Amino acid sequence: MKKNRILLENVNLHYAAMAYRERSLKSLMASAFKKSARNGQIADIHALKNVNVEINSGERVGLLGHNGAGKSTFLKTVAGLYPVSSGVLQVSGQVRSLFDLSLGFEPDATGRENILYRGLLLGLSPKFMRQKEEEIVSFAGLGEFIDYPIKTYSAGMQVRLAFAISTTVGGDILLLDEVIGAGDANFMEKARSRITSLIEQAEILVLASHDFNALKSICTRGLVFHHGVIVYDGTIEDAIVEYKIVNGPAQ
Amino acid sequence: MFSYFSRVWAARYFWVHLALADLRSRWRRSFFGVTWSIIQPLGLTCLLALVFSRILHTDIVTYAPYILSGIIVWEYISANTIGGSLSFVQADAYIKQCNHPLAIYTLRNILSSSIVLMLASLSLYGWVAIVLPENFGWSWLATLTIYPVLAAIAWPVSTLLAYVSTRFRDVPHALGLVMQSLWFISPVYFEEKMFRSGGLHALVDYNPIYHILQLLRAPLLHGEWPTLENYLFSLGTALVLSLVAILVGYKSERKVIFYL
Repeated sequence: MKKNRILLENVNLHYAAMAYRERSLKSLMASAFKKSARNGQIADIHALKNVNVEINSGERVGLLGHNGAGKSTFLKTVAGLYPVSSGVLQVSGQVRSLFDLSLGFEPDATGRENILYRGLLLGLSPKFMRQKEEEIVSFAGLGEFIDYPIKTYSAGMQVRLAFAISTTVGGDILLLDEVIGAGDANFMEKARSRITSLIEQAEILVLASHDFNALKSICTRGLVFHHGVIVYDGTIEDAIVEYKIVNGPAQ
Repeated sequence: MFSYFSRVWAARYFWVHLALADLRSRWRRSFFGVTWSIIQPLGLTCLLALVFSRILHTDIVTYAPYILSGIIVWEYISANTIGGSLSFVQADAYIKQCNHPLAIYTLRNILSSSIVLMLASLSLYGWVAIVLPENFGWSWLATLTIYPVLAAIAWPVSTLLAYVSTRFRDVPHALGLVMQSLWFISPVYFEEKMFRSGGLHALVDYNPIYHILQLLRAPLLHGEWPTLENYLFSLGTALVLSLVAILVGYKSERKVIFYL
């Protein structure tokens, strides 16, 4: 019996500030010859500070925080995209993440081909994707456009297709970053019920959002981030209250 | 180490598809489609063979397949160095979304350019079979080894270059120059004996590009098996480069995402 769990112990994450400074050989050489006149080097961005979290099977966790507080970084760290600078990160279970939905389409390929590509990107087999293809096509509801190249799609259509693909394949651990809110009103209804059923299937859900109603209706536990630190960990109602206190009355 | 390669294997559907998609988009909406990878080197060969055989007073019948073999293998090499160095930058959308081993994005280029090389070499086999039928024999089987040997060298090279180029974006531009000079000092179009008669033995004997090309040229152009030295030199190059690539990858793979 496998147990799905996310465990972070004293996790720190630094964005390499180098990445934003020395882009070229020229600037690297220039800085080598120049006496370090400015001692105040740009420090690495400390995006997650001493984060301690344990999320167990069956939990629905909402992430709150101002822009840049570390919500997305937290999700991407759990997804294994960012390397932790120190601390322990253990994730057991199949992770599915819905971050930026329109990333990774091949503009010249048709919608149908892109269904396959995206499924393969998620690590699935062509056989499995062919079984799921019709379901995805009918959910996306793009009509004949499904056989047109993606570059002819409007932004909303791309989001619909991406959403349909990403949500058809479930996982043990579901990571969502502000994805509720895609497409037109009609599609929104479908999307909402799809998300709800996906959430029910998933063992663990972590959702980052600014939509308090969505958070209240979906999540049970809330984490409040403030400048990379988890300042509150408790029930979602209390977390929303805490978030408002931390960020001042203007919210 | 082992788990890394098993992750590469687990993602095989993905990178195989990326490679095939690259090929499809390359030939999409062109009339000749796939045959372009045969026509293009053949056309260039005819042109070069005509000019060079006059200038260098060599026999066009044997010189043309020599050039053709040089062109198609060089095409592969430059696709995987100049093109390969950009593979992480081009795949940024995937890298930022999915935690696949990064080496699959260079493997994608290896696969697509290997397919192009195989197609292009069909014309070489055909040409040689017609003009030099006396060379046909069992030794031709050795030409099949060039594909895995080339891949074993090109994969670590392009992965290394991709790491460096993600960090330093000048590298792909500089590479154009480097590859041009490498081409010039290697027996790609110019015959091996021209280097030797000029006293430049080292450019031939210690040049992995020469030894790789011999895997194709010795059987096809001379009807001989490639020498053990050819294989040892090629595989040794592959081994050394793989070790460096694994070392560099071990240190910097996880940081690549910050530089995209």
